[in-house]
Amino acid sequence: MKVVATCSLFPEEIVLNGKKIESIPSNEVDWKKWVYSSLNIEYPKFHKMDSLAKLAFLGISVLEKEIDFSTYKDEEVGLIFANKYSSYYSDNKHFINYTQKNMVSPSDFVYTLPNILTGEIAIFKKWYGDNVFFILKKFDIEFFIEQAEFMFSKSIKACLCGWIESNENSEQAYLFLIENKEGIVLKDEILEELIIDKIN
Amino acid sequence: MGKSTSMDTSLKNVYITYGALVTPLGNTVDKNFSALKEGKSGIKKYTNSGFTNENWPLAKIEQISENRFDTLLRTSFIELNQKVSIATLTSSDTLVIVSTTKANIDVFPNDTFESGVTILKNELGIVNEPIIVSNACISGVVAINLAADYIRADKFKDVIVIGIDVVSDFVIHGFQSLYAISEEAAKPFDKERTGITLGEGVAIVILSSEKRNSAFHVKYLNGSSSNDANHISGPSRTGEGLVRSIQKTLERSHINKDQIDFISAHGTGTIYNDEMESIAFDRLELNTKSFNSLKGYFGHTLGAAGVIETIVCLLSMEHNLVFKSLGYTTLGTSKSLNLATDTSQTQVNTVLKTASGFGGGNASLILIKD
Repeated sequence: MKVVATCSLFPEEIVLNGKKIESIPSNEVDWKKWVYSSLNIEYPKFHKMDSLAKLAFLGISVLEKEIDFSTYKDEEVGLIFANKYSSYYSDNKHFINYTQKNMVSPSDFVYTLPNILTGEIAIFKKWYGDNVFFILKKFDIEFFIEQAEFMFSKSIKACLCGWIESNENSEQAYLFLIENKEGIVLKDEILEELIIDKIN
Repeated sequence: MGKSTSMDTSLKNVYITYGALVTPLGNTVDKNFSALKEGKSGIKKYTNSGFTNENWPLAKIEQISENRFDTLLRTSFIELNQKVSIATLTSSDTLVIVSTTKANIDVFPNDTFESGVTILKNELGIVNEPIIVSNACISGVVAINLAADYIRADKFKDVIVIGIDVVSDFVIHGFQSLYAISEEAAKPFDKERTGITLGEGVAIVILSSEKRNSAFHVKYLNGSSSNDANHISGPSRTGEGLVRSIQKTLERSHINKDQIDFISAHGTGTIYNDEMESIAFDRLELNTKSFNSLKGYFGHTLGAAGVIETIVCLLSMEHNLVFKSLGYTTLGTSKSLNLATDTSQTQVNTVLKTASGFGGGNASLILIKD
């Protein structure tokens, strides 16, 4: 098992394999839109996504600078995603709609499930592999590796792992790809590359 | 969790038994079984339950008046404690996996997942940190599949899967905004179907590495999940994700589709979901198999649904009894299906359980009599 690439996205910077590749201007009002523009990709669905799904989409797009996903068949990539606060950002929007604005919005409600982001990734990449979303107390590299082992014991060749959070206090995305190939997973190195101490 | 994973594990036996079931039809597995046999539905109309005071049908547990999530979870412990020893519950070889979409959503914007975990630790006495799967309506099936992974990897001896969700304004208002709620009790696969009926409940199954002292044993074979890769809230028009998930599950289970005796489908009662399922089963030539949806009894219980319906599969296997697809009278999908219109005795040795949901998710698993 081998980690082939890692990336982290914060409102301040984008980090790929432990190296800063972009600094995001501090006066930027919509930093995710700024990152989207900097990547030179055309995917209009991005603008309709909630912040959790946007972060996932940007994360995989950054990883694509390093990884050629076309080497995998459409059922060979597993998705293992997790966070602590579930779909808090969209939950709050929907909650405010019906408790304060006396309205309900289908486009806000559909994002009130955290696994919608894995659906957005599957749509973007046309992937049909196994996928799962967990709510965890905190980021746990061992947990992701354990889940990848389970998927590798079946028909999955690579696992896209991600910890993505969007709430009132923070927006952040950490993604990494584990391949079922000869190799050693250097946990400390990965944690260092991902700048994991920023996770709150 | 320290033991290493053995890679060739797909043939290792995993036994599945039921622990507890609390639904509007009763607070034990036996009470639910009696109600199912009588064809009773847990669905009733509730005055002013809608966003603009509609009287939506719901499958609510009327004995619970407040603190719904915590109370429901605690209620399930009564039956669980009768069936599972304290030694097993509190063992370091036991893991709990919780399957839920919105957990204790009534406390939002506070942490909706915290109270359940605290109750599991303090009142059930579990020692390992529970794992929470939140994968929309496929959560229950995904959680059971994961439980088997843990058993086959020798990480735990027993994995307790708890599927739970409650009826809440949050969810009712949301589904109402999608025009997805039926004005009458849901009629899965029927010509007159107009949408879902929301429900609540908690269901507990236990997957184990050994036959425990349960009178009856069913083995879990294998399972999978697959996304439609099509749309986040609308089911695929081709049933692609469901087709792929069932194909993977059959392959991983090393069985032929002809061996399936019965299919416990998802069948929510919406026009598009049920149509999608009919297309998927038709593509796989599984549409002549005996088949039902249980949403007419329990409503759609979201994160609990896959676990509740798996318990009913276990009852079907134990008693060789296929429960009628409540609410169904006339075929309302473009592809034919062999829906159970009466509850009847038939040999049920091998069962396919499927689920589909928001985010384009699909999941399935296969159970076989031991």
